[in-house]
Amino acid sequence: MKKLHLLPTVALISVILLGAMFMYVVEDIPAFGDPNSPPNKYVPLPISIDADGLADSLDAGVVPAELKSEIAEIGYTRENHFPSLEEGNYKIDKTEEGWDVLIMKEEKYYPGPEKWYFIKEELGGKLKVYRYSIPVRWQEKTEEETELPNMVTSGLADYRSYDTMYEEAVIFTAAISVIMLLRRREKL
Amino acid sequence: MSTEKRIQERDVVIQTIAKLMIPFIQLYGLYVMVGTEGAGGGFQGGTVLAASFILLVVAFGVDKGRMKMPEGWNAVFKSLGLYLYAGVGGLLCIIFSLGKAEYLNYCAIPLAKIIGGPATRGFWVGNIVEVGIGVTVMAAFVSIFYDLVRKEEKKEAKE
Repeated sequence: MKKLHLLPTVALISVILLGAMFMYVVEDIPAFGDPNSPPNKYVPLPISIDADGLADSLDAGVVPAELKSEIAEIGYTRENHFPSLEEGNYKIDKTEEGWDVLIMKEEKYYPGPEKWYFIKEELGGKLKVYRYSIPVRWQEKTEEETELPNMVTSGLADYRSYDTMYEEAVIFTAAISVIMLLRRREKL
Repeated sequence: MSTEKRIQERDVVIQTIAKLMIPFIQLYGLYVMVGTEGAGGGFQGGTVLAASFILLVVAFGVDKGRMKMPEGWNAVFKSLGLYLYAGVGGLLCIIFSLGKAEYLNYCAIPLAKIIGGPATRGFWVGNIVEVGIGVTVMAAFVSIFYDLVRKEEKKEAKE
């Protein structure tokens, strides 16, 4: 009889410890949409040009020609499958820190503006250009950051690990609920 | 009608084919579950493993299935898989960095000092996190299947 009681006791203790663990961890989860969390960080582009005169143009909602040619020079062109900065194709939102450049998506069914560049004025009077676009960043950096050849695995279990962990917890909860509802007998 | 009689009436073809197929199904489940270069992942591999146990129960009856995969071990496996993901990874990060590191930040594990941070992340994600997911999914599905089977058996016994 002693051997029969060992496994249920171990299982019960591990379930209780796991619950306590989750309660501790709730404190540690980053907020949704946090701009400093790893998937949302900006990617700096190797561009820095003098800001005199360009800031007014950006305030008026027009990307200056110097900036366009700099962006085209580092390979962000239409031929390389990057969205083009043609007139009327983008709009600029001014925020507290800089300017967001939103470019229309070239999709048939869900067209809409998408955040692409973030332009910021540095202290020395230089303009610095950053980039959003989480999927592109994910594709580019997954080899460097996780040394995994498979982008899907790193996305599933590393970049979106909270999501996957709670999916697993959902399956665990479903199994425990079925045990509680259907298994009615003396021993577990 | 007792369970013993029904087992004897089963088809020998089904039992032979099941005996042949189950090891290969389990091997394939492990191949899908572990590693990062093939297709699939933890959820898919765990489901394939659970399907092999369900095939065992279908071919040989629920008593032999319970002998091979006891329900106590099922309960342990369910918690163990979630532990490998949430408990071990998270607890190691928190303990070894004295609470400074973020939860699930695998670069804080001491293994990172030997083989480097990115390699640790890759190793942990590919070989431990995925196995944890697979073990939990397998045990959960097998446990749900056992519970449903018992309900049917009770009904038949009453008749």
